[in-house]
Amino acid sequence: MRILLIEDSFRLQRSIGRGLHKAGYAVDIAADGEEGLWLAQSNEYDTIILDLMLPKLDGLTLLRSLRANKNGAHVLILTAKDTVENRVEGLQAGADDYLIKPFAFEELLARVQALCRRGYRRKNPTIDVGDLQIDTAARVARGQGKTMELTPREFMLLEYLAVRRGQVVSRSEIEAHIYPDAADLMSNTVDSAICILRRKIRSSGMRSLIRTRRGLGYLLENEAA
Amino acid sequence: MNSIQRRLTLTLGAICCALWLTGSTVVYFAVRAGLVSQFDLALKTDIEALANMTEQSQAGLKFDSTGEFMPKFQREDRPDYFQLWQSDGSALYRSPSLEENSDLPQRFGTLQSPRFWNVTLPDGLTGRAIGIHFVPKEDEDAPRAQSAPPLTKEVTLVAAFHRAELDQRLYYLGSVLLLVGADLALATAIAVPAIVRRGLRPLSALGRRAETIDASSLQLRFATEDMPAELRPITQRLNNLLARLEASFARERRFSADVAHELRTPIAELRTLAEVGLKWPENESQVALKEALQISLQMESIATGLMALARCEGSLLTLHPEPVQLAALVEEVYQPLEAKARAKQLSVELNLPRDLSWCTDRATLRSIVNNLLSNAVDHSRPASAIKAHLEKNGAGGCLLVSNANDALGADDLAHLFERFWQKDPARSSPEHCGLGLALARAHAESLGMKLSAELNCTEVIFTLSNAAPSNGATRSTGEGVTSTRG
Repeated sequence: MRILLIEDSFRLQRSIGRGLHKAGYAVDIAADGEEGLWLAQSNEYDTIILDLMLPKLDGLTLLRSLRANKNGAHVLILTAKDTVENRVEGLQAGADDYLIKPFAFEELLARVQALCRRGYRRKNPTIDVGDLQIDTAARVARGQGKTMELTPREFMLLEYLAVRRGQVVSRSEIEAHIYPDAADLMSNTVDSAICILRRKIRSSGMRSLIRTRRGLGYLLENEAA
Repeated sequence: MNSIQRRLTLTLGAICCALWLTGSTVVYFAVRAGLVSQFDLALKTDIEALANMTEQSQAGLKFDSTGEFMPKFQREDRPDYFQLWQSDGSALYRSPSLEENSDLPQRFGTLQSPRFWNVTLPDGLTGRAIGIHFVPKEDEDAPRAQSAPPLTKEVTLVAAFHRAELDQRLYYLGSVLLLVGADLALATAIAVPAIVRRGLRPLSALGRRAETIDASSLQLRFATEDMPAELRPITQRLNNLLARLEASFARERRFSADVAHELRTPIAELRTLAEVGLKWPENESQVALKEALQISLQMESIATGLMALARCEGSLLTLHPEPVQLAALVEEVYQPLEAKARAKQLSVELNLPRDLSWCTDRATLRSIVNNLLSNAVDHSRPASAIKAHLEKNGAGGCLLVSNANDALGADDLAHLFERFWQKDPARSSPEHCGLGLALARAHAESLGMKLSAELNCTEVIFTLSNAAPSNGATRSTGEGVTSTRG
């Protein structure tokens, strides 16, 4: 899952960015409104965390521009503005959620997860693919009830394939969602990651669920065969 | 309960009743005195007639009882009475109505000034008596010899008359006055409360309006157009008070919101830093601790600024006035800022007379100057100039600090000294929280000085005016020491 954090406080950038990254999200960071708008329009994000009081371009203007350009990314406003009028204005401008500073990081994480799920029309935080169970809230995957040892990036890859199970996911889509910060990505990075993931799935006693569609991408089987 | 309406009603009612009573009594006694005087005048006429009927001659005294005046003393129904005594006290004549053995009381005055008194008549009814002591005229029918001495025998005449008619008139007068008094008292009892209520209606309306005003409706005002002249100053004062209260409440609300807002971001930074650090511990704990320290210092700076502001506004600042050399103070304050100014390629011109000193609190003045100079260094356009000089204006002169600032507009001047105001709506600067100039102005006011700002194209000029007289020369140029650093 790919998140865009638009926040001018460099300390919050670091803390939230690190937390989300550790939680298994790919995070892009923008320090002002103009950069944030450019990133939001240039990439596809599952969720955008948006501060309102931003240098160069304020958050509400940015949000309205996004919505005017039919950008459907889920937006969570994270701000110190706490009045009812502020919240109503933010939600009416096109935000999906509103969280007031200071906040509990767990709550921010839960809201981001909920917004990401909403993007794939899911309400249950757990994805079941046969004997494979992916708990997107706890960031844990289990094969036949046994916890799989996955790095955050591997979990992100599995989660991304799982939320789009039954669909072919191209290598470029994987790169965009899982490796946004790696501009000079090696050509076989995705293939290697898929290979490792298959091996870990098999080591948990299941057959590999990930199929390769040559020239198209990868597909996680919808039902266990 | 202490009520103006009740007190006014009771007081006015009592005063009206007392006035009616006093007036009625005065009228009664005045009319009574007139009637009695009139009655007595008639009695005097009667007794003069009786006196005229008494004559003396050398043969002795005689009373002519044949006059036409006599019938009123002879009638059977309520006759009047009179009795005539000789000087030896023996009765000379009694009116036919007076029985042989009954005498009238013997009191008297002179013919010119008779004596009157109330008396119970022999028939038991009330009457009024008149008594005189006089020398009867000489009998013309029996004149005395010319050589004979004048006749000087004296007699006493007392006449008593029925006064029923007089009493009836007085009774009628008393009744009328009592009836009128009762009617007036009743009218007073009805009219006074109504008049008082009507008179106090604007006051009641004022009270009702005041009851509707609480902390949440301070925007309401009292109507002054239809108010009586006596209440208009009060309503105007109340309206002024409400306006001040409203402004004060709004300021407090804005202040609380500003404080809360200003502290939200550093608290969020600290909390997220701690939560993420605890959830995913990392080796670089030194970095996290340094960040936590910076955040704490930022919050401490806000808290310190707010406390200083509160101390100033609450007049809790302790001042120790002493002669402060302005040039030395400005240079001392600028010294730690010099490196930053050099990094921004700022040229700084401090043009202040050496011998000038202001008698004021050094620490507070230092805080003001520090605020102005550090703001100038932080907000100046790179490679521009900062100037500090003195201008002769008023007793102590003015310290002017100016710098080039492209960001400020004319509209911003009104907000420059507001608490937590920042030109950058994103409030991104961790070094400034918008309290500095508010604090500087509060400090200036504590010192009896005035801090103002003006904009000259892109140059912002802060003026610190000191009304107190200074020691030494007050010059803008000339003998002062000019130091230019760049």
